[in-house]
Amino acid sequence: MRILVATTGSPHSEIALRFGAHIAASVGATPTLITVIRRVSDRPRAEAILARAPQLLQPMIPGAHTRIRLGHPAEEIIREAEEGSYNLVIIGERQRPDSVTRFLLGSTAERVVEHAPCPVVIAKGKIGPLLRILLCDSGADSRTLLGRFTTQLAELLTAGMEVTVLHVMSQISAGPGVSGRQLRADAEELIEKRAPEGELLDQDVRFLQQHNLHPRPKVRHGLVVDEIQAEARSGDYDLVVIGAHRGEGWRRILLDDLAHQVIAEIDRPVLVVR
Amino acid sequence: MPDPFDPDPATSASNKVELSLPTLAPIRLTRVVRILWKKVRLDKIGLFVTSLFLFILAINLMKEGARALAPLLRDGAAISNPANSLGFGWLLAYLIMSGSPVAAAALTFFDAGVIDKLSTFAMITGSRLGASFIVLLIGFIYVLRGRDRATSMSMGLLSLMVTGTTYLVGLVIGAGLLHVRALDGVQFHSGVLLNSVINLIFDPIVGALSRFLPRWSLFLVGLGVILLSFNLFDRCLPQMSVKESQVGRVSRMVYRPWVMFALGASITLVSMSVSVSLSILVPLSNRGFIRRENVIPYIMGANITTFIDTLLAAVLLNNPPAFTVVFVEMFSISLVSMIVLATMYHRYERTMLRFVNWVTASNRNLALFMAAIFAVPIILMLI
Repeated sequence: MRILVATTGSPHSEIALRFGAHIAASVGATPTLITVIRRVSDRPRAEAILARAPQLLQPMIPGAHTRIRLGHPAEEIIREAEEGSYNLVIIGERQRPDSVTRFLLGSTAERVVEHAPCPVVIAKGKIGPLLRILLCDSGADSRTLLGRFTTQLAELLTAGMEVTVLHVMSQISAGPGVSGRQLRADAEELIEKRAPEGELLDQDVRFLQQHNLHPRPKVRHGLVVDEIQAEARSGDYDLVVIGAHRGEGWRRILLDDLAHQVIAEIDRPVLVVR
Repeated sequence: MPDPFDPDPATSASNKVELSLPTLAPIRLTRVVRILWKKVRLDKIGLFVTSLFLFILAINLMKEGARALAPLLRDGAAISNPANSLGFGWLLAYLIMSGSPVAAAALTFFDAGVIDKLSTFAMITGSRLGASFIVLLIGFIYVLRGRDRATSMSMGLLSLMVTGTTYLVGLVIGAGLLHVRALDGVQFHSGVLLNSVINLIFDPIVGALSRFLPRWSLFLVGLGVILLSFNLFDRCLPQMSVKESQVGRVSRMVYRPWVMFALGASITLVSMSVSVSLSILVPLSNRGFIRRENVIPYIMGANITTFIDTLLAAVLLNNPPAFTVVFVEMFSISLVSMIVLATMYHRYERTMLRFVNWVTASNRNLALFMAAIFAVPIILMLI
């Protein structure tokens, strides 16, 4: 498995490095550390960052490959991910001072998430070994989140890991005569009644069981972003896995970018699968 | 003369073109016209024309009767300030279960000089607040019949809360705009020709009725006629029925707030009623296609274009300041909605949904809320 960890030497990059160390150790990979400079004169600073970075990876992994690229940070990280055929990019998220700046400029992490050719982890908050994973499956794509996740990152799933498959139902009854039973039902009831959401969860559970895991299906009712956030916090998960926003054609214009909102609001590492 | 068996493709093609153009084109055109004609619903067109006729008649009747009601409104109902007008419009919309006729009534009162600009503006606002109660009332009846509170009332509560919050802030902005006369230049004249045609058709009818009925009763007759016209107009609209296969994966999608805002505004522009726009969502929600994230901006959009019939009423009254009042109403609500969507939408959305959850959490909360929405307009009337 090829892992690319982006670093700038800042505190948020240290979180990405520590998270990268946990992931690399769990799959037995040697990560590549990348730092991007805007001017050639910045090279000594970049070398100093990359010389210091492997110390943060120890003792979990003995060493790492390093890369320095010149240009725009997001563009160069994406280019490196493409050219190096990486399976996973890990990046820290710098909090912008205010929401207006954030809205206008976006963050490097957000741009990488949007354009990277592979899954991306936004490392933040509490960092530790991957023991509890929250998989948030909307079922919006014909290829389910789990299908994409296991195709690209099956090595991350290890036996003994606690996995929860979450589906958030934000549907609401628009009329008083509409039966709202399923709009309040839990996962077990939806699976038993063979509701579309129940079938999605059932399919996910069976799929993960084939990988020697014993996942727990869960349904929450409310706003999608809020419920994912609430579940991540209440379940104290080490990683939240979500699908990327579909950014092509009419969908880009019409559909809301919930992945962006989850990344912005959640307080722990988020893996965005595409 | 070309050989009919000429194998030269160029010649053959030209022969075909010469033969086909004069014969096939009319056939195709006739077929298209026939297909289109089959799709035309003459009964719906008839209903639309009738409803438009009744709408104009109603405005003329209400205009004629409004002046005679002035003493009753000022002395009997004590409508003397904008707060009274707000409460009056609100309660009247409860009473007749519709907002548009009340808004039209406010314009006729203004035209007759019974109420001033600000009171007209407040009464129109009240009419929308009262109208948003209708969806809630239907839900409440379902609750009384033993249905689940949250399922039956969520949409009605959301509609009322979104309308209440945006319109009350819009009321303050609109009152300010009217006070400083910022939009007084935005006026629309119906034109001499239109007025002449309307007078030619409707004056004899209004004149005939005024010979048999007391003048004040013309207003009530007009109110009845306008209700009938809206009823007929609702029947012109196509019936909404969605098969699951037609929408398929749409069910799991969350649209951008601006998309739903534009959709709500567009649908209401055609239906002219928020209640009708919301009822269009019912068959969709029956199949789980309506999501919490999508509903609030849809209601916000609907709340703006629902004034289109009031705008038409202002044009029919040929009263440019009345047009300005309605325009200020639309402008201020649009401004509030856009500011909410652009700057604080998610916080607003959460607050609205949290409040709806609180109201539907217990019978006590529901009773408190229902009592409040009756008490507030009554208190406003008494100020």
